Amino acid sequence: MNEAVSPNPVQSPLHEPAGGAVAEKIAVRGLNFFYGQTRALKDVTLSLRTGKVTSFIGPSGCGKSTLLRVLNRMYDLYPGQHAEGEVLLDGENILAPGLDLNLLRARVGMVFQKPTPFPMSIYDNIAFGIRLYEKVAKSELDGRVESALRRSALWTEVKDKLNASGLSLSGGQQQRLCIARTVAISPEVILFDEPCSALDPIATAKIEELIDELTDDYTIAIVTHSMQQAARVSQFTAFMYLGEMIEFDETNKVFTSPRDKRTQDYITGRFG
Amino acid sequence: MTATAIQAAETASRPMDRSQALARLKFGDVVFRLMTQFSALLVLVLLLGVAVSLLIGSWPAFSTFGLDFFISDAWSPPKEHFGAAAAIYGTLVTSAIAMLIGVPVGVGVAVFLTELCPLSLRRPIGIAIELLAGIPSIIYGIWGVYYFKPVMQGYVQPFLIHTLGAIPGLGLLFAGPPLGYGVLTAGLVLAIMILPFVTAISRDVFETVPPVLKEAAYGVGSTTFEVVGAIVIPYTRVGVIGGVMLALGRALGETMAVTFVIGNATKISTSILAQGTTISAMIANQFADADPGLFTSSLLALGFILFIITFIVLAAARLMLARLEVKAGR
Repeated sequence: MNEAVSPNPVQSPLHEPAGGAVAEKIAVRGLNFFYGQTRALKDVTLSLRTGKVTSFIGPSGCGKSTLLRVLNRMYDLYPGQHAEGEVLLDGENILAPGLDLNLLRARVGMVFQKPTPFPMSIYDNIAFGIRLYEKVAKSELDGRVESALRRSALWTEVKDKLNASGLSLSGGQQQRLCIARTVAISPEVILFDEPCSALDPIATAKIEELIDELTDDYTIAIVTHSMQQAARVSQFTAFMYLGEMIEFDETNKVFTSPRDKRTQDYITGRFG
Repeated sequence: MTATAIQAAETASRPMDRSQALARLKFGDVVFRLMTQFSALLVLVLLLGVAVSLLIGSWPAFSTFGLDFFISDAWSPPKEHFGAAAAIYGTLVTSAIAMLIGVPVGVGVAVFLTELCPLSLRRPIGIAIELLAGIPSIIYGIWGVYYFKPVMQGYVQPFLIHTLGAIPGLGLLFAGPPLGYGVLTAGLVLAIMILPFVTAISRDVFETVPPVLKEAAYGVGSTTFEVVGAIVIPYTRVGVIGGVMLALGRALGETMAVTFVIGNATKISTSILAQGTTISAMIANQFADADPGLFTSSLLALGFILFIITFIVLAAARLMLARLEVKAGR
């Protein structure tokens, strides 16, 4: 804790967890992000480990959601927003011009703060994404929909009303439907943008359980305002403040022995 | 006032004031409610009044010709024999052509404006579309006669006759000499006239789609086309259909522009290049010269039929929307 923390650490300050090296799925290097003229991310560097959950925490407006939206280039939908630096997905820079955005977003799925079921049936909500990329027979499609719904612990609740509108489900069910939809197209990375902030505690517990089950198979990044949630679901935690990556380490290290004063202040509830 | 009275007034003053104020407010409320109620009822009375007076005016025609009035295309003032079929046919066909062309283009423009257009172009194009809606129909009529009709006669109609006209069966639709004036010309002018309605309403309802829903669709790897087709249009279909119906209402009733370019021939032909007429064009052309009696009554009957057609279109739209909403489960 007495080592000086550089504001933009070039080398990752990570100590590899016991059990050997874990490959990095996404590597962010010197990332700057701009909303028009406003610089929202300042030389952010971090890496997402394959098959691990990394949580982004920090006070509102610190840039954690912005960082998440860079990872599948969702910001591209809006004019005037641009990113500089490098974001490597399996070694390939996804900020490079000419990259196929649709393919990228199929590889890097996203679950949003509010549940976003499409205005169609539960079945079609899942089948929509599958049909976009694959020509599958009806029977296989049925199987894929079922396994996605099972994977997101929703199958027993909806198996008798697959033709009902996705909007007819409760908030927690809708959110699990969105996770099922994301899982159904077999992405490699799943981004969660405060997935539980619109849900009650029981629905939240279910989503967290689900995230836990999805690790190993997927690389996961989650933005959360709840430090308890970050502690519960993630193996790595990144603390951001005013667009800077302040601290990035194993979750238990960040929470038990933070190296930076600001991290300590935030996790002990002194601001934010 | 005695001291006790003052005291009594003081103790009672606050609740008294409040109840007086409440009574005043209540009076205002009642007046306001009655006024709005009256306005609403007035609309119903007017609607009913128009329908009834039209029906009374057109009764001689209906009672003389009976069902024949609807299926006969004869329109002969000297012989005092009238039939509405040609006008009804022309009205429906010109409107169908207008919708067939105007709706896809209008929705397409709205999609471009909301999803694809660079920000700097959005306002200019949007304003241009709104200006298009503000052009009086007589201007479209003049433009149709002096600029559009020669183009149709010189290029479009000969082209259609030589290409589509040569196909057996389908060719019947594109038969005949290129006259310039005709059903197709009227339909195309109508398409241009309804375009801004469809675009303006579609654009407004497309903008109500929550950005996060679109992001979610892009998030599973959809292209813009798929997002529009699977998310934006289904989400806003009620509004879009509303806009389409408004446009259809305008197309059915449009008078001046159509009268200028349709050719005003009271006959039914299979070819959409042929000259024809519509209900409103007939009324506009002939009402001033009509003799009182059966002629005038027949024209009023035409008006009544247009009234009913518009009513049916609106009712069908309502029914369709209600069924769509049940299906969507909200």
